[in-house]
Amino acid sequence: MNASYYRTARALHQHPAALWDLEYLYEPLPIPEDHPELDLFGFQRASHPHNAPTAVLSTREPHLTKSAANDSLPARQLNEYIYCPRLFYYEHVEGIFLDNADTERGSAIHQKIDRGRGALPKAQNPDAAPNPTPSADNTPTPPESAAPPETETIHSRSAMMSSERLGVVAKMDLIEVQMALIPQSTHNWQPQSTANLTKKTTKKALPNTDQPDLFAAPPTDSTSPDITDTAVPQPQLLHVKLHQHKVQQVTPVDYKVGSPRIGPEANELWDADKMQLGLQILVLRDNGYHCNEGVIYYRATKQRVKLQMTPEVETWIIQNIAEARRTAASPTMPPPLINSPKCVRCSLAPVCLPDETRLLATNARLPENPPSPTRIPLPPRRLIAARDDERALYLNTQGCRVGIKSERLTIKDGDTTLDEIRLSDVTHVSLFGNIQLTTQAIQELCEQEIPIAYFSMGGWFYGLKNVHTRIRQFAIASNPVQCLALARKIVQAKIRNHRTMLMRLHIDPPSTAIRGMKEIAGRVPDARGLDELLGMEGAAAALYFQNLSGMIKIGQNDPDDDIPGLDISTALQKKLRTEKETFTFDFNQRRRRPPTDPVNALLSLAYSLLAKDCTIASLAVGFDPYIGFYHQPRHGRPALALDLMEEFRPLIAESAVLTAINNRMITPGHFVRAGDAVNLTPIGRKAFFQAYEQRMNTLITHPIFDYKVSYRRVLELQARLLARWLTGEIPDYIPMVTR
Amino acid sequence: MSARNNSPSSRHTYLVCYDISNDRRLRKVFKICKDHGTHLQFSVFECDLNPRELVQLQRTLKEVIKHDEDQVLFVSLGPSEGRGDRVISALGLPYSRFDAPCYVV
Ligand code: SF4
Repeated sequence: MNASYYRTARALHQHPAALWDLEYLYEPLPIPEDHPELDLFGFQRASHPHNAPTAVLSTREPHLTKSAANDSLPARQLNEYIYCPRLFYYEHVEGIFLDNADTERGSAIHQKIDRGRGALPKAQNPDAAPNPTPSADNTPTPPESAAPPETETIHSRSAMMSSERLGVVAKMDLIEVQMALIPQSTHNWQPQSTANLTKKTTKKALPNTDQPDLFAAPPTDSTSPDITDTAVPQPQLLHVKLHQHKVQQVTPVDYKVGSPRIGPEANELWDADKMQLGLQILVLRDNGYHCNEGVIYYRATKQRVKLQMTPEVETWIIQNIAEARRTAASPTMPPPLINSPKCVRCSLAPVCLPDETRLLATNARLPENPPSPTRIPLPPRRLIAARDDERALYLNTQGCRVGIKSERLTIKDGDTTLDEIRLSDVTHVSLFGNIQLTTQAIQELCEQEIPIAYFSMGGWFYGLKNVHTRIRQFAIASNPVQCLALARKIVQAKIRNHRTMLMRLHIDPPSTAIRGMKEIAGRVPDARGLDELLGMEGAAAALYFQNLSGMIKIGQNDPDDDIPGLDISTALQKKLRTEKETFTFDFNQRRRRPPTDPVNALLSLAYSLLAKDCTIASLAVGFDPYIGFYHQPRHGRPALALDLMEEFRPLIAESAVLTAINNRMITPGHFVRAGDAVNLTPIGRKAFFQAYEQRMNTLITHPIFDYKVSYRRVLELQARLLARWLTGEIPDYIPMVTR
Repeated sequence: MSARNNSPSSRHTYLVCYDISNDRRLRKVFKICKDHGTHLQFSVFECDLNPRELVQLQRTLKEVIKHDEDQVLFVSLGPSEGRGDRVISALGLPYSRFDAPCYVV
């Protein structure tokens, strides 16, 4: 059983009432009671080793390479194409699958069904009528005989078949097979049937004519036509004891988690389901079975809805297959759906950002283009979680060793276990200094797509997808004009955010510096080259850092200190006073290598944490973090992450530093001096990690999208918007500027 | 972002309690719950789960328990974050919940 086969990114129209009801996952499929000896169901048949391996159809998804447009498309993918072409593109061209509760439930159902072994009694066409263009009225009528043949229904689960004509592989949850008793006198129908089958069918070679027992043995290979589609094993005869029965008609039954569409007269199939089921019918026909209708069983309402195959449905399906192929071959992704309720159910919404992309693609929110009264854009729905459920894990205890036990990371110092942390609670792992990760732990983290950042070594573990994004990234990174255009925006945003910080947090906002920064920001769009831009950035940064100390409000007369009850304890005060003799939070100038005072040490740590998070965000989107637009490539420097980081330096890093100092989360006692350099003690570092992550988790109202998200989410959104700009889906990158 | 943190709705807290009649299954259930939550009492776990993780946990447990002898109860305590008061309080030994914004070891 291949669970990933069913990792579809959506589950249609899930009925809310069924949300917590899991019973259905385990409801057994109907078993033909009158013929328990029928050996058609999963486990039992395993006792027939001669059937294996060819008789057991593979339940694995055939490997697909997306480059060739003429590969077989699985019916499930075409279902997704009808649901949303963009979803189809994400999953099958870019290879991005995400699970949510709906898909998890869907795969549980299919896991249950997949225990079938996928075999189907052989197709035969007892009535001699050729059936080259199947149509609805071509119902299988058994030839006249003295007495009408008795019919019998048996079931086959999880069968996979392909059609060369359509270029499609369909996997069927369940096939109801109607067997008709063969009247002894009509055994002579058989010989003709082979010749009457449609040319395109590949897997219907009939055994020798003088073989009255249709189910007794598999056909000999020599009589079978060549199987051209090697990805799909052919169905074989089953070991069935009903010697006198033949397949009269088959009906595919597909299971869906949700409920049917309410039509004007009756329940209807959703278009996406119609596509998938229709394909199953056509594929069965192309394999020589009589099949005129299919059924979808909607689990939420426990209803069966039928699809009758008509020429119109067939034309509709064939047209859509052609369109899906064109989409798959195109380098541009289909646009998102417009304000569709499907997006709410879609597990890819956080990647796809349908509403945000639409909004920015029309530029409706830019000040230059005020919304026209005729088309007031709907505010984007927040389809992503406001903040992460998981937390960052910082490993800071020197010499500790991290292993894995079941689904938990175990952190040990020698033989003592320091902590156990569930993988499902971790967003990423950051290692500082001498810490060992076991190979098993690394493997499991990579498997679960949890990034690992080695701070001492500057290394990363992460997988990359989104080929198209990277192709565009490389193209634009080598185009100086576009690099400059982006760099101007980034620098301008950073200066603006710096200016806002000073105005909001400075004890006495310095009007000259604020005016100066505004003036520089205004000149940035005219910068003629990266050098000139660097100069402007430097001048503005100088103004900012000259005034940074005005935002540190400790030691000065904090009005809070005068409020009775809010006083810090005298013991702590005394402690602070003695420590102040060694370290103070005075700040004159930004010094990086090495930081020579506590504020600089904190800023350096904060920037490297932010660079880590920007790297993770750019990796998650599929960028190569080492190729930037403003920051030029240099060995070991994540240039793209640094580009992304500029506008967030004030908002996240500097803000976390100021909060940590002003709230006394960090005190002078948290520092040590080594030569010229001032560093945080391990305890100080731990305290700062908390301060930084607190900032990352802070919810803010997004200035463009107007919904609340954490800074970590904003970072990820910006990385995705940058990718949208690169692929041309939105005309401009809009940096994050606080209001 | 990654395949894991994409759920649009955040986690809810569940009290997961079980009654398992066989030792071997009990050990398995204990281990599964340990992978999903915090062990509070003898057969009580506190698990923070988003809808996907809940389905996953229930699926895994269903594979293990015997449906006519064992029982696992799920008590939803509402969203894990943003609840004003704690919905669990303790007499005797303290119940404490780890609420830091990140893990630092
Ligand atoms: S979020 Fe909406 S537009 Fe995007 S892939 Fe899903 S259904 Fe399609």
